[in-house]
Amino acid sequence: METFLALLTYFAYFFIILLYTVKLIKYLRMPVHLRWELYPVIDEGEFEEEKNWIEKPRKKRYLKGFLFLLKDYFTLFDYAKNNFPYWLGIYPWHMGFILIIIFHILCFFGGLSIVKGIGVSYDSEAFIGRFLYLAILLTGVISFLAGIFGSVVVALNRILNRNLRDYASIQNFFTYFFTFVVFFTGFYSWFFTDPHFFEYREFWVGLLTGRFRDVSFWTKIHIIAFDFFLIYLPFTRSLHYITRFFAFFLIRWDDEPNIRGSKLEKRLTEVLKRRISWSAPHVQKGSSWSDVARFIP
Amino acid sequence: MRIEDISKKSEILLKLKKEDFMPLPHPYEKGDLEPEIRDLTEEQLKKIEASLDGISGVGLKKPETKEEENELIRKFLSGLEKLLSPDDNWTFLMPFYHSLEYCVKCQLCSDYCPIYLSSGKKEIYRPTFRAEILRRITERYVKKKKRLTRLISVGDIELNWQTVARLAELAYRCTLCRRCAKVCPLGVDNGLITHEIRKLFSQEMGIAPRELHELGTIQQLKVGSSTGITSRALSNIIEFMEEDIEEKTGRKIKIPVDKEGAEILLLHNAGEFLSWPENTEAFAILFDIAGIDWTLSSELVGYDAVNYGVWYDDIQLARIATRHAEIAKKLKVKKISLGECGHAHKAMIVIADRILVGDLNIPRESAIPLLRELVLSGKLKLDPRRNNFPVTLHDPCNMVRLMGIVKPQREILRRICPDFREMEPHGVDNYCCGGGSGFAIMQSMNFPDWRNSISGRMKLKQILEVFSDVISPEVKKYVCAPCSNCKGQLRDLFNYFGVNKRCGIFYGGLAELIVNALADLKRPFIDWEWH
Ligand code: SF4
Ligand code: SF4
Repeated sequence: METFLALLTYFAYFFIILLYTVKLIKYLRMPVHLRWELYPVIDEGEFEEEKNWIEKPRKKRYLKGFLFLLKDYFTLFDYAKNNFPYWLGIYPWHMGFILIIIFHILCFFGGLSIVKGIGVSYDSEAFIGRFLYLAILLTGVISFLAGIFGSVVVALNRILNRNLRDYASIQNFFTYFFTFVVFFTGFYSWFFTDPHFFEYREFWVGLLTGRFRDVSFWTKIHIIAFDFFLIYLPFTRSLHYITRFFAFFLIRWDDEPNIRGSKLEKRLTEVLKRRISWSAPHVQKGSSWSDVARFIP
Repeated sequence: MRIEDISKKSEILLKLKKEDFMPLPHPYEKGDLEPEIRDLTEEQLKKIEASLDGISGVGLKKPETKEEENELIRKFLSGLEKLLSPDDNWTFLMPFYHSLEYCVKCQLCSDYCPIYLSSGKKEIYRPTFRAEILRRITERYVKKKKRLTRLISVGDIELNWQTVARLAELAYRCTLCRRCAKVCPLGVDNGLITHEIRKLFSQEMGIAPRELHELGTIQQLKVGSSTGITSRALSNIIEFMEEDIEEKTGRKIKIPVDKEGAEILLLHNAGEFLSWPENTEAFAILFDIAGIDWTLSSELVGYDAVNYGVWYDDIQLARIATRHAEIAKKLKVKKISLGECGHAHKAMIVIADRILVGDLNIPRESAIPLLRELVLSGKLKLDPRRNNFPVTLHDPCNMVRLMGIVKPQREILRRICPDFREMEPHGVDNYCCGGGSGFAIMQSMNFPDWRNSISGRMKLKQILEVFSDVISPEVKKYVCAPCSNCKGQLRDLFNYFGVNKRCGIFYGGLAELIVNALADLKRPFIDWEWH
């Protein structure tokens, strides 16, 4: 059983990383597009408000944009402001995800510390051991509780609010149920069998050393549920966690002007050579974009 | 109303009733001063497709045979595939793909859409409604997902003639104001989805409202302007403007045309020459006083800044932008400056930026910051008391939320209008005038009734609210709209509701207000004549 559990975990991590990478590459390999920004462009001022703006230096502050998005990740501010009942479910639900990921990363480091001979417990001699113990405990418990509460409230919101229900899919409800199972089993195993998350750290020691460890029944159930959840995630819209960054930096705030002789101009010259197969009467099907643009019907 | 209902073989999906619409403030609170939306005639209904909401904006003819129906469905699907192709749609593939894939249907955007709110929250006008239809069609007919997978992941839809026809109309029930996109936490843009549906119909099926395509971009490229003004007619208009300026201000001005090597090629929306020549005259007066080296062009297309392609067709957009740039290149001007036209700003300065390469990549900018410089620099002798009437500012979406020009027009108004007041919300959160994305020029059948009652309703509400303390018709009030299309919409909207007579509210441009404030003017430049 411990071998199965370990192999499933390896596979789940491998699978999610692979599929997310493929999806992200597909996203990023899309050609340069026309400008379609929306203001305010957070990482820049409204520079077209200036006379001769094209000659003035642009100050892109990517860090400002990044921090803006990060702040939103941890508050989901737009929802809190505009639809509080929805936020009440969506916020703990998302925090549950973020924290459970942090929890697993911390468990990995906990396992690594143990392999390196640093004990992880509340009375560990090393500060790092005590820190990891506490951080694992807090992230784990808060994530499970927030996740359980969030899954129930989001599902109720989707059922009770007609605006949301009419657009909900069966998969939405399956996802809420699945996340509930993941968080609930985590909570159950912590509460009844493993209050110090000792088993998780040992499990990670097994994964890191190849000498797989067995864990108690409920911890096993939670690990299996979490692994399947990782495998399931790429089939949902969950990538919006990451694509949201792209949507802001590469679309909503992408106001990069096309300066003569720039790299951007070279890329544009290339895409303008692409051929068109649109077939309305006013289009010269088969011609390149630049030829079509010069044609007067 | 459910998403699947779009394919229902019924006469009409939604019957509009004015009692359902968002209430308006005084003096329209009772609803008796508001006309009813006209029904299409029996004759029109026989031929024209209007089964969405009884309105026809596109003027789509009903197919007569089953083969014709099938052909339209086939073409629709081939167009949809092209929207997802990096060759055919490199122009918007990434934003389109993102919006199609990553909406979580939280509906946060719905309460930001003026059309959805004004209609009394009618489901078919919800920003996510048309996007969801397209999403489901894509899953089923393009990605060819199995029935069970579809049912589980998105929900199903039937693609028949009704779906295609209603989607064509539905693409013209959104002004592309992108207010919904601004609030979406995930960067999804339902306005863009509308834009892409319009494009599919135009670029693949040759279907677009006549006013945008035949009488719009096609006429502009052939005759020179979507207004029908020819180069010859332009020279008469310019002569008239020079005489009018002399009569109004006593100044003798020679408006420069086709001046080679000028600093600025000024592009006006040609609608200004016909309907609001006082705006183009005001520019000429201000540039003359400030000694600016500028010119107009008399070449075909060169005297009309409009580019309706930005609303429905990337190919037409590219053609007109290219023509504008070629004309500027030939005249050897240093830069192109855009007059008071919002969509022309966005099209030429922002969107065409990634179409114009090499020597066509000529600097382009808005004339508004230049006007600000003139007003604040002291080059003009101004007396704000001459504008001693309540003034509010309408923010054209294209110039403000979509382009970031927010402050200059406000700095001007604060300097020259003692009773300047802001509408709420304003700036990047503004509401569209209701005439955006071509609506202002779409005048056929009962579409204007829909536009005035629904898409312009929120703006009317804002205007009535901002002037509520001076709403009596005896007090003359001015809505400053630095955009020709917005002005066209305000003219129609005010006529429809009798706003000018009942409330004494006028509309006009920004440059006119500046000229009106000139200290040495013998009589006011703004004549308060309703037109
Ligand atoms: S477009 Fe954005 S705000 Fe609207 S439903 Fe989708 S995710 Fe929510
Ligand atoms: S773009 Fe504007 S009109 Fe269109 S759906 Fe969004 S908010 Fe509504």
